[in-house]
Amino acid sequence: MNYTGLSKLFSVFRIIKESGGLRASLYKLYRMDELKVGTLMGTDKYGNKYFENNRFFYGRNRWVEYAPYYRLEYDGSQVPAEWFGWLHYKTDFTPDNDPGRPKYKWMLDHTENLSGTPQQYVPYSTTTQKIDAWKPPCPK
Amino acid sequence: MSLTIKLFSVPRNGHRIFRCTPPRRYEASCAKGQYINVSPPDPSMNMGDITERAAQTIFWTELARGFAVTLGNLFKEPATINYPFEKGPLSPRFRGEHALRRYPSGEERCIACKLCEAICPAQAITIEAESREDGSRRTTRYDIDMTKCIYCGFCQEACPVDAIVEGPNFEFSTETHEELLYNKEKLLNNGDKWESEIASNIYADHLYR
Repeated sequence: MNYTGLSKLFSVFRIIKESGGLRASLYKLYRMDELKVGTLMGTDKYGNKYFENNRFFYGRNRWVEYAPYYRLEYDGSQVPAEWFGWLHYKTDFTPDNDPGRPKYKWMLDHTENLSGTPQQYVPYSTTTQKIDAWKPPCPK
Repeated sequence: MSLTIKLFSVPRNGHRIFRCTPPRRYEASCAKGQYINVSPPDPSMNMGDITERAAQTIFWTELARGFAVTLGNLFKEPATINYPFEKGPLSPRFRGEHALRRYPSGEERCIACKLCEAICPAQAITIEAESREDGSRRTTRYDIDMTKCIYCGFCQEACPVDAIVEGPNFEFSTETHEELLYNKEKLLNNGDKWESEIASNIYADHLYR
């Protein structure tokens, strides 16, 4: 079987089946340029799914599937801080298994890079003005 | 006559005649100072032969070999990573976007000692300080010009309270220059967003600090 290459054909069918049918596979291929299957390691609160498959080499064996509502507007900055370390191979702990990861009540929700949108950051001075402009005395 | 000549030359060439010589490996003479060409014979340099060879290489063998390389690479696993989905390995010491951290109570760490401002080689940091209502010394202005910053990490090394850190984030490119002129609010926001990863990075490096 392996000599004829038929096993490759069967694995293609298996991957299509595991990605949820022909239509879903084609959409995934269009959106992600690749059809990979792996074990689901977790889902963050924004709906992004994180997969791992160690059949691929280091650097390709962990990946994120951005939430479906992003459609084609996915961006690298949509990965929240909790999953950032796992996705960048800094740690093998997923955030729910990591004992050292702090959770304080003042921590903020993650936002993607908002440059170019109406919510973008605009700099402003955090102090009061130290110099007042000269106002000419009004003539009587 | 010939015999006498040979006999006379025996003292000079006798070792050649009477010695039992081993079989010679090469046809060519093995006199000293000469060398033997063992490489394949040089191709003929007739104009016609040269043209014939060049045409064969260019129009036939090179095409076939090129297609073979292409076909082989089609079935190979790519050596590149599919970036927004797969990301490359990073160090916990990676120096990315700056952030101002807080204590677990929520109190901001920075005490406006201005060591980061003093050590910054690009002079990208501007700090103004005042005492707060409760008497503690805090910054009223903490600006970093991210377009001046060279990401050397001296500010986080100078900081005595681990307030200013260079976080792990590198995906903060902007469409305009002014968005990169960070003020204190933006830096504190970054800290609140990235604290989970910043704290993990500092913990990962705690044996070396």
